[in-house]
Amino acid sequence: MSAPTLAATVQLPPAASSPKLPRKRGSHPGEGRAAWILAIPFTLLFLAFTVWPVIQSLFMSFTDTKQKDLRTPFAVNFTGLQNYGRALSDPVFVKAAANTAYFVVVGVPLTLGVALLAAVALDKGITRFRAVYRLGFYTPVITSIVAVAVVWRFLLQPDSGLVNTVLSWVGIAGPNWLGDVQWSMPSLILMATWRNFGTGMIIFLAGLQAVPASLHEAAAIDGASGWQRFWHITFPLLRPTLLFVSVTTAIGYLQFFEEPFVMTQGGPLNSTISLSMYTYNQFGYGNYGLAAAMSYLIFIVIAVVTALQFRLLRENT
Amino acid sequence: MRTPAIAALTMAAALVVTGCGRPADNPSAAPQSASTVASGPATGDLTVWAMGAEGEKLPDLVKDFEAANPGVKVTVTAIPWSAAHDKFTTAITAQKTPDIAMIGTTWMGEFAGLGALDPTPAAIDKSAFFPGAWGTTEVGGTSYGIPWYVETRLVYYRTDLAEKAGITTPPTDWDGLKAMAKAMQEKAGSKWGINLQPGGTGSWQSVMPFAWSNGAQLNNGDQWTFDSPQMSEALKYYQSYFTDGLANKSPAPGATVEPTFVDGSEPMFISGPWEMSAVEKVGGKGFADKYSVMPMPVKEKSASFVGGSNLGVFKTTKNRDAAWKLVQWLGQPDVQAKWYGMSTDLPSVTSAWQDPALASDKKLATFGKQLETAVAPPSFATWEQVAAKFDAEIEKVTKTGSDVDTSLKTVQSQATSIGTGS
Repeated sequence: MSAPTLAATVQLPPAASSPKLPRKRGSHPGEGRAAWILAIPFTLLFLAFTVWPVIQSLFMSFTDTKQKDLRTPFAVNFTGLQNYGRALSDPVFVKAAANTAYFVVVGVPLTLGVALLAAVALDKGITRFRAVYRLGFYTPVITSIVAVAVVWRFLLQPDSGLVNTVLSWVGIAGPNWLGDVQWSMPSLILMATWRNFGTGMIIFLAGLQAVPASLHEAAAIDGASGWQRFWHITFPLLRPTLLFVSVTTAIGYLQFFEEPFVMTQGGPLNSTISLSMYTYNQFGYGNYGLAAAMSYLIFIVIAVVTALQFRLLRENT
Repeated sequence: MRTPAIAALTMAAALVVTGCGRPADNPSAAPQSASTVASGPATGDLTVWAMGAEGEKLPDLVKDFEAANPGVKVTVTAIPWSAAHDKFTTAITAQKTPDIAMIGTTWMGEFAGLGALDPTPAAIDKSAFFPGAWGTTEVGGTSYGIPWYVETRLVYYRTDLAEKAGITTPPTDWDGLKAMAKAMQEKAGSKWGINLQPGGTGSWQSVMPFAWSNGAQLNNGDQWTFDSPQMSEALKYYQSYFTDGLANKSPAPGATVEPTFVDGSEPMFISGPWEMSAVEKVGGKGFADKYSVMPMPVKEKSASFVGGSNLGVFKTTKNRDAAWKLVQWLGQPDVQAKWYGMSTDLPSVTSAWQDPALASDKKLATFGKQLETAVAPPSFATWEQVAAKFDAEIEKVTKTGSDVDTSLKTVQSQATSIGTGS
């Protein structure tokens, strides 16, 4: 039995679609008004706390708004795309963009891989103490980043840290992890992976357990190996789960901020400064216009990356 | 989706057409004069915002003020340092400020620029304070408040290791300090000669004492002056500690100086008065006799950085007379000495240093001496932003050994494009 035919036999369960009923309009004269009245509180809150800040920040990104203009937010000069130009020509912003790309390109696949591996191990391999492992792997996600940072700084100490002590047992002189330009970013990626794979693992685990056992049994009877069954049954059925986890992880990683903020302050030599952190610094200096422009640049990148992921991972139906 | 987007664009366009544009004149730039404060005891309610340990301990101190002025009630609100800046800017924007606040010296330019602070009345005598500290209250020639407490930087060194290295009297000039660091490494067996901050936030505070000692200035009026020969010479001197292997150029992030100072691997460092209790805590009993402090070494003169916090009165206060009376009271020598006993904050008033608790401590007295010549950075609203650029170039110079003059030119052009915020 060859693999392609196997895949062809797999049929996705039909999606539960609700048949659309034609809506009846104006059946009751008071109904429309009541709906509007009931919607008003939400609409007002939405306008005041979601729409207005978005408009204001977008407006800000086209002006030279500074800290001292806060009292008179409209008495500022309109500068067109100047803030966007300034951001893109700022060498530190470009460096931060490169760092963020590095973090996402290496970090997202690594996190997804580790999460999937852990989920498969928990689903198939580890049967004893499954709940304990699940809790253990998930604990970093719910632990405060500040506590995590302190522990990781200890672990990564160049002279006395656990990592380099263990490395020295096998004769490797470990680097100055966080203090070295080459190693600071890999250290942060490693830490972020460790901290975040738990979320992906839990979702993958749910996805894996939703794969019907009957499909596996049928394929096993047809003589498919474990790897073939994973690749041709489990993996395609996991696709929606994979899309969800990769989109949320990528959005989170594109905005990565906490790791450099608490571990390295963006150093050494700006090797770990991220787009979000640099933008945060600009807000701190009171350059609201420039910082708003930077925020919208990050927003555009996130939108593009997410759209790409949807295109690549969408269901081939 | 489409309708909100169109609405947003229309609104943004409407704002651009109608509301925009700066007013031609800038009222906060002109020097301001203060009106006088009425005499007699203070009355009414006052709120004070203070950060960190000061916020916790100040209520005990102001009880004395309340006892002396029966009609006054002072409420102190403690604010964590991490949230303070945001809280202040929000309060100023919303015009919901306290009457009085403790204000970080580097925030003066910004808050005064927002027009939030009341100019200091002439009744407060500026000559009572350390001149460098008083300078931090002045923005564009007008003083907005008083220095409350101060701190400055000295060279800490291990006396026992210095003796081993054959040094019994601390050096006084640049060459002497470097020779001492070398001797610590070669004769006393220390891993490093001295701990100096290789870039990172606030490293300018270690570099500028050398630059000021060489006659360099950060600004001339409202022009930045980073690319002066004096600045270059000072930064080259600072860099030489790293290129000669006397100072560690890649310490682990978050590493503190106390453990390495106590174990002797970094027998010298430059820092402020709080390190005395910190190293004695790590060093344990008897460590206080194993180290001492010396003034910053001289090139043209001895100079250091003066920091600390100021006290300011907000313009929106409804009880201006009482507010300035409390500020004035907190600046009295006996109150300052008492406050030192409660908080170990060093007095900003020179005569408070005659108090026995301060005068009898030899190390503290050295801090007091250094404060007389200590210098503050300019109180421009953009200083922190410029300082961050300077820190980044200091890091390049120390860690990669890159050219000092190129770096200073970069800082100068960045600082010029950021401006002074006026």
